[in-house]
Amino acid sequence: MSAIAFRSVSKTYPDGTPAVRDLDLTVTEGELLCILGPSGCGKSSTLRMLAGLEEISTGEITVDGRRVNDVPARLREMAMVFENYALYPHLDVLHNIAMPLVARHVARSEIERRVRQIADTLHITELLAQRPRTLSGGQRQRVALGRALIRRPRVFLMDEPLGHLEAYLRVELRSEIRRLHEERETTTVYITHDQQEASAISDRIAVMSGGRLQQVGTFLDLLDRPINRFVASFVGEWPINLLPADVVEDAGAPALRVGEQVLPVTTAQARRLAGYAGAGATFALGWRPEDLGIVDAVTPHGLPGRVLLVEPQGATCVVVIDTVVGRINAVVDSAGAPAAGAAIAIRPDQPRVHLFGSEGINLFADTEHADG
Amino acid sequence: MAVELSVPRHRRSALAGAAAFAVPIRYLIASAFVGFCLFPFYIVITTALKNEHDIFAWPPVWRFTPTFANFYNALFVFGGQGALTFVINSIVITAFSTILSTGLGAMAAYGLARFDFAGRKHLAFWILSTRFAPPIAFIVPMYLMVQKLGLLDTRLALVLIYTSMNLSLVIWLLRGFFTDIPIEIEEAARVDGYTRLQIFRRVALPLVLPGIVTAAILSAIFSWNEFLFATILTQTRAATLPVYLSGFSNAMGLAWGPYMAVGVIAVLPIALFTLVLQKHLVRGLTFGAVR
Repeated sequence: MSAIAFRSVSKTYPDGTPAVRDLDLTVTEGELLCILGPSGCGKSSTLRMLAGLEEISTGEITVDGRRVNDVPARLREMAMVFENYALYPHLDVLHNIAMPLVARHVARSEIERRVRQIADTLHITELLAQRPRTLSGGQRQRVALGRALIRRPRVFLMDEPLGHLEAYLRVELRSEIRRLHEERETTTVYITHDQQEASAISDRIAVMSGGRLQQVGTFLDLLDRPINRFVASFVGEWPINLLPADVVEDAGAPALRVGEQVLPVTTAQARRLAGYAGAGATFALGWRPEDLGIVDAVTPHGLPGRVLLVEPQGATCVVVIDTVVGRINAVVDSAGAPAAGAAIAIRPDQPRVHLFGSEGINLFADTEHADG
Repeated sequence: MAVELSVPRHRRSALAGAAAFAVPIRYLIASAFVGFCLFPFYIVITTALKNEHDIFAWPPVWRFTPTFANFYNALFVFGGQGALTFVINSIVITAFSTILSTGLGAMAAYGLARFDFAGRKHLAFWILSTRFAPPIAFIVPMYLMVQKLGLLDTRLALVLIYTSMNLSLVIWLLRGFFTDIPIEIEEAARVDGYTRLQIFRRVALPLVLPGIVTAAILSAIFSWNEFLFATILTQTRAATLPVYLSGFSNAMGLAWGPYMAVGVIAVLPIALFTLVLQKHLVRGLTFGAVR
């Protein structure tokens, strides 16, 4: 169990490509932290620097307060699981799992005992004599997990370990990884581009984009209080609706104007808007489809529109609505869904709306609970 | 959807007939070719096993009582100095140069495949360029170098020269093999606690074994058969089998029996070596190149 800290860590590849920029991130002891981001966001480079497979260009990484920049990978006491399993093709499963112990000159009988124990935990005992090429993807990843678990490493590193597996296997193995984590409480850094996986498995999630850390928090933090436009668009089961809006004065208080419609804001939000009214700045208003209500067309403070399409999804359905500011998706209970062609109005759950300024920063990031 | 093939009946039977003949004809052609290639070997082996009388009998005798006298004479008696010394020279020189070129070549190839350093590609090309000129082009400087080092007529001189000539082939062959190993496998070994040298020995080398075998066979064949340098740089003490065979007729007319016996001895070791390892050879020649 170890605490990890990245301090102003940057990675620039020899050809000049910046992969990670000025990363400050702390992983607390015993935590399972997911690094989530689209491909090319720098999450793998971050993990590889931590593993010692990639040099750190600037900044430092500490494990339990000790700087590890110059410690070679083999001495960092970390176990890693790779996306493509990276098993040793010339060794059978038993020897694959045993390799980390062989490197540490553990006694033969002890190795046998521990391999069998791990194989038992992962249900791969009957595969011990087989070579990796005869195994299925799921079995291979179990063996790779076994090779990592056989040690008592300070840190587990997982680089999209379920990326190549079929959907049902992903769900099965991720719950197994979570179970093993709860058993051992070893600090774990887990890379994924799949937000459901991140949400299911992690204590906290760090979202990266373009080599920069965007936000760290629980899945709900990211969903309800996205710090900027990227996090708001990237996290969430359905893509967030972004509408052009500006700030106006309405009955002495600041309010938002979308198209011709003036929408009220909460008092906490109003405080953030002080000074913007009439200043001419435009914003992007962020509405999550699941935070929208569909009401009668004549309801005051609703954004009018016409239903284009209703996509049933079981208990809920996605309603595509045409408005003066573009198409908006709403997710509502199938029971109360409007019919296609109906004239309706949209009213958001006001405390849960987001407002992104010109820099993409969310002005309403932490106003949700301020109203009480 | 019963669409009949519009082939007339007699034509169809003709096609079927052709198909029935195709396989035997193929085998016939193949046998003729193999027979043509192997016939000299047949003559060499049978002549080596015949006595003087049978060798010159006309018409040739197909059935005879084999004798090993030719082998005995060739190895131990013939001309006061039998072939045994040269057999041993050939074996020693081939073994050492093969081990050296494969061993050093594997390490160099791994370095070129896995370590990023300035001028890596130039270095690789430069290594290959050592084979651009025909060997005879540098026989004179080579002779002078060997002479100045006092290595004329020594096995060491040939071991060194064959090793250097085989190295470029081994390096280029194995570099492809090493590059083909997924880098994650070696990274996994690094995280698992292995040093670079341990990874080379325990992970990389076993994975390129077919390549190693191929490189070793090709090196051994080259060293075993090399004639030009051997004949210029050696006199008697370090001469190899090809040198001995070339001088055979001059010495005492041509004694066909012992001559053919030495020929058999010259073919045998490489033939056996290749037979034992050929399973890897075929895989090795195709494996590294295909990506």
